[in-house]
Amino acid sequence: MDNSAALPTQRKEKNENQAGRIVGKVFLYLILLIGAVIFIFPFFWMISNSLMTLGETITRQLVPKVPQWVNYKEAWDQANFSKYFVNSVLVTLGTLTGLLFTSILAGYAFGRIDFKGKNILFGIFLATMMIPESVTLIPNYLLIRGNIIPLPGGTWINTYWALTIPFMANAFSIFLLRQFFAQIPDELWDAARIDGCDHLRFLVQVVMPISKAPIMTVLLFGFTASWNAFQWPLLVTTRDTWRPLMVGLYGFVQEAGPYTHWLMAGAVITIIPILIVYFLTQKQFTQGIATTGLKG
Amino acid sequence: MAENSITHQSHRKTLKLIKLQEQLTGYLFILPALIIILIFGIFPIGYSIYMSLFNWQVTKGPFIGDKNYLLIFGSWWNLLVLVAGIGLLILGSLVWGKAFQSMKSGQRLAHIAGALVLILGGVIFVTGWGMMYESGNKDFLNSLIVTVYYALGTVPAEIIIGLVLAYILYQDIIGKEAFRMIYFLPYITPSISSAVVFQIIFSSRETSLANRILALFGADPLKWRFEPRPVLKLLGINVSGLAGGPSLALLTIIIFGIWSFVGYNTVIFLSGLGNIPKEIYEAAEIDGGSKWDRFWHITIPMISPVTFYLTLIGFIGTFKAFNHIYVMRTPSAQNSVVTTSLLVFDRFYKANQYGVATAQAIVLFVIILGLTLAQNKIMGERVFYG
Repeated sequence: MDNSAALPTQRKEKNENQAGRIVGKVFLYLILLIGAVIFIFPFFWMISNSLMTLGETITRQLVPKVPQWVNYKEAWDQANFSKYFVNSVLVTLGTLTGLLFTSILAGYAFGRIDFKGKNILFGIFLATMMIPESVTLIPNYLLIRGNIIPLPGGTWINTYWALTIPFMANAFSIFLLRQFFAQIPDELWDAARIDGCDHLRFLVQVVMPISKAPIMTVLLFGFTASWNAFQWPLLVTTRDTWRPLMVGLYGFVQEAGPYTHWLMAGAVITIIPILIVYFLTQKQFTQGIATTGLKG
Repeated sequence: MAENSITHQSHRKTLKLIKLQEQLTGYLFILPALIIILIFGIFPIGYSIYMSLFNWQVTKGPFIGDKNYLLIFGSWWNLLVLVAGIGLLILGSLVWGKAFQSMKSGQRLAHIAGALVLILGGVIFVTGWGMMYESGNKDFLNSLIVTVYYALGTVPAEIIIGLVLAYILYQDIIGKEAFRMIYFLPYITPSISSAVVFQIIFSSRETSLANRILALFGADPLKWRFEPRPVLKLLGINVSGLAGGPSLALLTIIIFGIWSFVGYNTVIFLSGLGNIPKEIYEAAEIDGGSKWDRFWHITIPMISPVTFYLTLIGFIGTFKAFNHIYVMRTPSAQNSVVTTSLLVFDRFYKANQYGVATAQAIVLFVIILGLTLAQNKIMGERVFYG
């Protein structure tokens, strides 16, 4: 883009070159800004609408005259968010704990331990990333309902386990950590072994502390996946007991229909935790992507 | 002497023991992940295939063999014709590029022969598709068309916009971090929440944001999410039905798809750009290549593994896409927004036809596998791995 603007100036005199460069730069910033506005605008729209009166949302003002903070309280109460919010937090925490446990161990094994069939197993793990949820959804549903093998308690529909256990491991997290763990210099391991370290202690005391960035990346991706999950929870929660926020929001959309201001307030509420986590982990996260060989 | 050999032997023993222990540790470490992935990721594929062979509605019914698949294809013969067409298309492209290279005017010959095979393949493919459409499951085949529209509408745009933004950000830009953070925001936002926002922005009301923007350009308001007619038709070209291209309702979903995914591509491209050695650019600068030349002849080839990875992830993603389409679809958009993953879900969740749904899901899976392999083959050859 910019280049076409800068192109003619390249071959001319220095002065013009300078001027061309500035024009090119301005052009670049313009593109970036337009992009940023497009990306941000729906968020702005959501927040501004969430603070309007119903009348204002119909006439579609750009901003509310007087911010109606009460919308948040109303949406929260009407959509039964206090229940769903707690559910989502607990489900996410449980899933993340399991996910970290399984993927750090497996990532370490695939990255640093030699065992038979390692490459084949790793290949199989990676291949599961291609499987569409449509294929696994129905058997998993029957499994959780207790139709395939007997489960303790008969059925796991409407239980905590149905929402957490299936997501406590995934190939992507293992892959991401493996890439990082494999790059850790062997000298560290040799030194640790001389001190009588076994793999587990080495992993906990040496590897994990220097792998904060990729672990954060796994956490952020895991957090969003769990918090944003919709299709599966929709299926396995028929009552409010463990129904998470996203399914609650979807139900609210069906009910609240024309009450845009409440809908938007509800949407903002569901996004806030994600935003907080994102801003907190942002730095490690981008570092994690850059260092874990997601470069293809 | 003797003593020495004993220690040697015990040494070897402990070495063996260490190796064995190493193996065991390896298995032990992957065990928790393996159990979960086996049960919830791999076992369901086998069980889906099993289910698809039964008349399974909520509970298991009688064994009906390939009936559920026949419902999709009409007959195996249809499928065979279709696959033969695809095979010829692949053969044709191979001939086009590779045959007769040793002969003198080999390339022209290859192109002629390749073109013939390609045309033949195309004709057979279309015939097979037509036969299947005649006697097979129209809903399913329609959903495939919608899915392809959705994939072609989103993935290339995401790649191009992502690369451009990343390339600009890679220059000396003030506020780089802030821009990157903003671009990535839509990707991590819960798609249910953001789809609800887009639902409002693209509502059919005259005062909806999308229509107000149209009004700025003097255009009439549109029905957006509620519009099943093809975009081309609305532009005045006389087409109708799914064959006429994506509907406006689908375009709305495509716009959402691009908006929410571009940031991911940007971030990954950006880290890919950082891995291109600076010396190459410097050398090119000394040689007097323009900025554009450098982008075209260095950046594009050097970044191609990333492009490949993102294209693959993108296509697989569109074939799996569910949440935002489920939220943004409207009854009045009819089947013009029902992708295959939605169709499968409806069959299962609303119609309770588990057998039919699993058969459809398996076919979708096979298509994804095929596409992945094809992309590996086609793009994999052109990717430059340094």
